[in-house]
Amino acid sequence: MSLSRETIVEGLKHILGADSVVTDERILRESSIDRFRMFEDIHGVYTQPIPAAVAMARSTEQVAGVLRFANEHGINVVARTGRTATEGGLETAVPDSVVLDGSGMNQIVVIDAYNMQATCQCGVPLQVLEDRVREQGLTTGHSPQSKPLAHMGGLTATRSIGQLSTLYGGIEDMIVGLEAVFPDGTVTRIKNVPRRAVGPDIRHVIIGNEGTLCYITEVTVKLFPYLPENNIFLGYTVDTMKTGFEVLREVMVNGYRPSVARLYDPADGAYHFAHFVPEGLSVLIFVAEGPAGIAKATAEGIEAIVARHPECRKVESRYISTWFADLNWGPDKIAREREGILQTGNINRTTEVSGDWGCINDIYENALRRIIEEIPDITMAGGHSSHSYINGTNMYFNYFYNVVDCGPEEEVTKYHTPINRIICEETLRHGGAIVHHHGLGKARTPWVKDEYGSSYYILEGLKRAFDPKGIMNKGTIIPA
Amino acid sequence: MNAMRILVRFKVTPDYEALREADWAAGEGDCSDRSGAAEADARAGSGVASGVETRYVPRILDCFDESALEMALRMRDATASDGVPVDLGAISVGGREVEPHLKTLQALGYERATRVHVDAGLDFAPTVTASIIARYVQETNKTDLLMLGCRNGPDDAGTLPFLVAEELGWPCVTQVTEVMVLSDDRVRVAHMVDDGLLRVTVRLPCVLGVGNAVVARLRVPTLTARLARREAHIEHVQTSDLGIDVVSGLAGESYVLTGLEVVRRDRSGTIIGGQTPREKAQTLFDSHLKSLMGKL
Repeated sequence: MSLSRETIVEGLKHILGADSVVTDERILRESSIDRFRMFEDIHGVYTQPIPAAVAMARSTEQVAGVLRFANEHGINVVARTGRTATEGGLETAVPDSVVLDGSGMNQIVVIDAYNMQATCQCGVPLQVLEDRVREQGLTTGHSPQSKPLAHMGGLTATRSIGQLSTLYGGIEDMIVGLEAVFPDGTVTRIKNVPRRAVGPDIRHVIIGNEGTLCYITEVTVKLFPYLPENNIFLGYTVDTMKTGFEVLREVMVNGYRPSVARLYDPADGAYHFAHFVPEGLSVLIFVAEGPAGIAKATAEGIEAIVARHPECRKVESRYISTWFADLNWGPDKIAREREGILQTGNINRTTEVSGDWGCINDIYENALRRIIEEIPDITMAGGHSSHSYINGTNMYFNYFYNVVDCGPEEEVTKYHTPINRIICEETLRHGGAIVHHHGLGKARTPWVKDEYGSSYYILEGLKRAFDPKGIMNKGTIIPA
Repeated sequence: MNAMRILVRFKVTPDYEALREADWAAGEGDCSDRSGAAEADARAGSGVASGVETRYVPRILDCFDESALEMALRMRDATASDGVPVDLGAISVGGREVEPHLKTLQALGYERATRVHVDAGLDFAPTVTASIIARYVQETNKTDLLMLGCRNGPDDAGTLPFLVAEELGWPCVTQVTEVMVLSDDRVRVAHMVDDGLLRVTVRLPCVLGVGNAVVARLRVPTLTARLARREAHIEHVQTSDLGIDVVSGLAGESYVLTGLEVVRRDRSGTIIGGQTPREKAQTLFDSHLKSLMGKL
């Protein structure tokens, strides 16, 4: 028999202390969602089950205590830290869920400049960690747009990636070791070593689990020398996306590793570059960084590759460096976005996928064509590639629509989900992956079995093994 | 019933918030440099007319002009079914950077879209801009109500509505926050004054300077609407067509950017310690708020 809300709250207070259990109605409503339902939130409409409480954990032991309690009584737990999730992963899909908030676990444990690694608790904002390591001339190399807001636990749980990924990799390439708590309260620590071959790499059971298997309480990440004085910014216009993808491919295949390698289509690019790029052109952007010799060689290599494509025309590099300096999202931009949406009914959404070089342009063209043809009230539809690899790249679809003739609670079903469907269908049809770096959340679970194919067996096995009672973030990654 | 003919003047400005602090520097193109056509041409589109290098940041609609443009659309919407028909026009003085905004406005229902082409940047040159706008209104004789933002960014002294009204000989209301159409020759206007909000009825023609209005954002046209108006005509006007010599006008301006100084608003802060929110709140109350409350 399930516990009442009051009993759940009392149980949590017993574990955490009364001050660490939040039951304020407004906070509970806001804690029932993430940015996936921001249109509802902006209009003060909440359609998801309201959680019983937000539990503010301040130690690994407290996380273990809450999970044991929830596991014993079958209470759904939604793990969160910085609350920047965009795909519904933080929605409390089950009535009387507990939102387990680790933002109070915000201590940097150690910055080990000799071994080039830093250990911190899950609630450390990436910006704080980055600022601290930069004091020692180091960088994490991780720079997602959410850097001012996102915390290390959530960034790890969603397999995040940053704008400098082509050089530094995604979070999965940065994580050395971590600590996580499983539903039965078991605390596991994976030690920090350069590499090991002792069976499967179990870090990957934890990285990207989105709170469906365990709660990440501590992470250790690699550090790198911070050498911004060597950065070389390169920008080019290009007539077609197809050529742009080809340039990206040649840069990667020829062994160059710029930190930034981006390709914007004309629609998406117009939002950023209209002050120096003529209408109708795509834009290629590269940043070469690292030790001076490597940065110089990387930039020269890219220049030589671009020179083989006459349709590419160079733009002044200061346009690129100025643009790049204003790319991240902090509280000020979030506030302006909310005000704009409320006044105009116009909302910006994104869906990021990936594909190999052979299919990415087809995914891009077909999905975009279908969005424009099939979805009403679109005001902009475009996209960019922002993370490239030896065998392919990602496509970040970026689109705006006016929400008209429907209530705030219908925005997702009328617009966002149909667009996600188109993008996922086209991505799967061409052999790509339906999520590149936001995490599956709940938004794209309808396509998760098609995404995994026969390997879905492994995913289900993990869930059965580590969360046999199914209390961890129901409906996320694995459909409810 | 006659249509009310509204013309909204807007300006496309650099996005100063995207400007890095290091770029706030009086540059080589400061405003004392107004010696002739060659210099003016050299400055065209350079983004250094105010002396601050703004070329590298995006261009945006001035926020007060954006309010004015949306207000005019709402006036049209409010009278669409049974009221006074409203005919909308938009005008901007500038270069090619204006064109995408005019296309957007056409897709939103602005019937008339006009760009007055100038080679030189007109920052710090309100009398020249005022003459251009006033002369256009007089020459075309298609405007009953001229609306524009009260102030265009940090390089604007907020004088333009007054100067245009003066040249036209029309009444001027500034710091407008709301407008309502009463008849084809009257509008009800709310505007901020020192002591609060004043509501007045104004007979047209008149100039309205839009201030810090609640309506701050311009709606966004759909791709379908853009497609439907993609062939719409944009009127291009030369300043010489209006009998205005911009270079001579600029030479008469006397603004010189001599330097820039950051106004620091940093305040000292204290991080309150404590194990729990209750403990922190108690510390805050005991050490800071209690003494303040005693003074109330």
